Amino acid sequence: MKQLTELATPFASVAETSVLPGDDLPWLQALRQQALTQFSSAGLPAKKEEDWKYTSLWSLTQQAFTHDAIETTIVPEQCEQMALLDDAYRLVIVDGEFATDLSQLDGLPSKVTVQPFSTSLASVEQQLGQQVALDKAGLTALNTLLMKEGVMVHIAADVVLDKPIELLVINSGATANLAAHLRNMIVLDENARATVIEHYVGVSDGVYFNNVVSEVVLAEQAELFHYKLQQESQQAFHIATLAAKQAAGSQWHTQNITLGGQLSRNDVHSRLEGEESHTTMDGLYLLNDEQHADTHTRIDHLVPNTTSNELYKGVLDDRCHGVFNGKVMVHKDAQKTDSNQYNHNLLLSRGCAIDTKPEMEIYADDVKCGHGSTVGQLDMDQLFFLRARGLDEVTARSLLTHAFAVDVLDRIPSESIRQALSTVIEQRLPRGQK
Amino acid sequence: MLEIKNLHASVDGKDILKGINLTVRPGEVHAIMGPNGAGKSTLSNVLAGRDGYEITQGSVVFKDEDLLALEAEERARRGVFLAFQYPVEIPGVSNIYLLKAAVNAVREHQGLDELDAMDFLTLVREKLKLVHMDEDFLYRGVNEGFSGGEKKRNEILQMALLEPALAILDETDSGLDIDALKTVSGGVNALRSQDRSIVMITHYQRLLDYIVPDFVHVLSDGQIVKSGDKELAKELESKGYSWVADAPQAGQTA
Repeated sequence: MKQLTELATPFASVAETSVLPGDDLPWLQALRQQALTQFSSAGLPAKKEEDWKYTSLWSLTQQAFTHDAIETTIVPEQCEQMALLDDAYRLVIVDGEFATDLSQLDGLPSKVTVQPFSTSLASVEQQLGQQVALDKAGLTALNTLLMKEGVMVHIAADVVLDKPIELLVINSGATANLAAHLRNMIVLDENARATVIEHYVGVSDGVYFNNVVSEVVLAEQAELFHYKLQQESQQAFHIATLAAKQAAGSQWHTQNITLGGQLSRNDVHSRLEGEESHTTMDGLYLLNDEQHADTHTRIDHLVPNTTSNELYKGVLDDRCHGVFNGKVMVHKDAQKTDSNQYNHNLLLSRGCAIDTKPEMEIYADDVKCGHGSTVGQLDMDQLFFLRARGLDEVTARSLLTHAFAVDVLDRIPSESIRQALSTVIEQRLPRGQK
Repeated sequence: MLEIKNLHASVDGKDILKGINLTVRPGEVHAIMGPNGAGKSTLSNVLAGRDGYEITQGSVVFKDEDLLALEAEERARRGVFLAFQYPVEIPGVSNIYLLKAAVNAVREHQGLDELDAMDFLTLVREKLKLVHMDEDFLYRGVNEGFSGGEKKRNEILQMALLEPALAILDETDSGLDIDALKTVSGGVNALRSQDRSIVMITHYQRLLDYIVPDFVHVLSDGQIVKSGDKELAKELESKGYSWVADAPQAGQTA
């Protein structure tokens, strides 16, 4: 397997010269060493690898990234404007560093921990790295080698968190070509319930690289509403792995919205390890210009009586390229699995392209599974109807596009979050940009 | 109000309209009747500005403007309203959103301020009564899951809100049972006024029992072959379209 090992950025030596958190923790040192060995030999995945068939990291390898951010100031008003939610606990990271003064973590209930990753390492030994494989994608190894900041969320048993947690990751643009390797850990104990939003925002239109790994551990009966909103700059590289392990009766509801980035890649993976557990895996990629966005999802049904619903939608314009590859694995013991997976795409121009492949591999014989994908265009009858009612063409197209896109939000129970995300999507459409 | 002169239109190189002449003055109600394939829907689509039709000859003047030079939305804002034969469903766009956007597009053109949510709701509630619709319909997707009759009532609701100068009703009676037909025509009749013209396009005479026209025209093979008053419709009903198609004015009709 040929990998990309000739990189303009010497990531391996960055690890030697950087001050990374957890130097005093032998287990973490060992983990980083393992990551270094892996990354040094394997490098970044090349297109010859099946999972990277449609996405080339060549342009990423040609960038000389820096890992040292120069100081910058984001004022609270800017931060308020960028945040998705007003009423939330908020942990803010600016240019890879925890921003104490912008974060709002006052009033957290007892038995709830929301901390910067860098200061909570001692508590995550048992779980860190358990949800992701170092050997599979070189980017996870790279993240593990250089991970520095992120959020650590722990909700103790039976606690229902009163407000959502918003992780707001801002790239200010102050440091050109900044690379940040962000690591998030979300752990819900038995019967706990919480809402977490990962929100990535680029302020400038510059080039930078965010390499994210988020790990989720859900104990029995825990329920996590987990939304991700990616609004990076149009020139940014955003690569993220989001992986969850689910115990019996747990529920993981994800909505993954990709709007920014010249190149973005999301790997979303859930492992349904306990009976009666459930995954919702919904998402939207809304792309224009020459953006490239690749989403790979995987749901493993490992035991009997588990369920999953997956709906990803794509809106593609100009000369962009979208990739959706969804895999549902129903393992041989996973009888009574109930799973469906759909990917629907709307193409708004002739120059854009989508490669979609929904897949199911089923090794159990008593299951209910459905999947499918579609690629279409705006409905001319609907468009004419709206214009015949006085709506100009741009408004009519935006309205129909929005209508197509927003049903990925339908399964979000919170009206305020659904509305906030719907507005963000609306603003991204041509009508919203006027 | 509307003056159509020698209008020729084709679709994919096939001539459909072959010289339509029609003058509609303010306050008049005209019925255009004709058999399938006569060009009835083409005429309404051409007037409303749908893409895909080539105008090869002739002119259409609406309130002193060249209607054919305007985009569909520009026509709508100037007061041309097409009630669709088959209103489309638009899941994900709420009915109230569409209605408000449509009303405000017209108001903006007229130099009026946008209606805010409260004023709009007051207005729309009043108009709902006209077509016997529940407020629930406002919050559903446009025509989503509506019955045939509900879709047509929704069209008349839009007409009532937009108060067009010229309403073109394309086969508004199709797919309606007798009760729905009464409701829909009751709505239309309530909107008749001396400065609003209505062009009804229909295959059947039935609608004209409820919305009584001032003039009836027979469209056959792309031309108006006969014009008269409401008695013409009754004659057509008893004698069939072959009666006019065979008449001398029928021109090229075989």
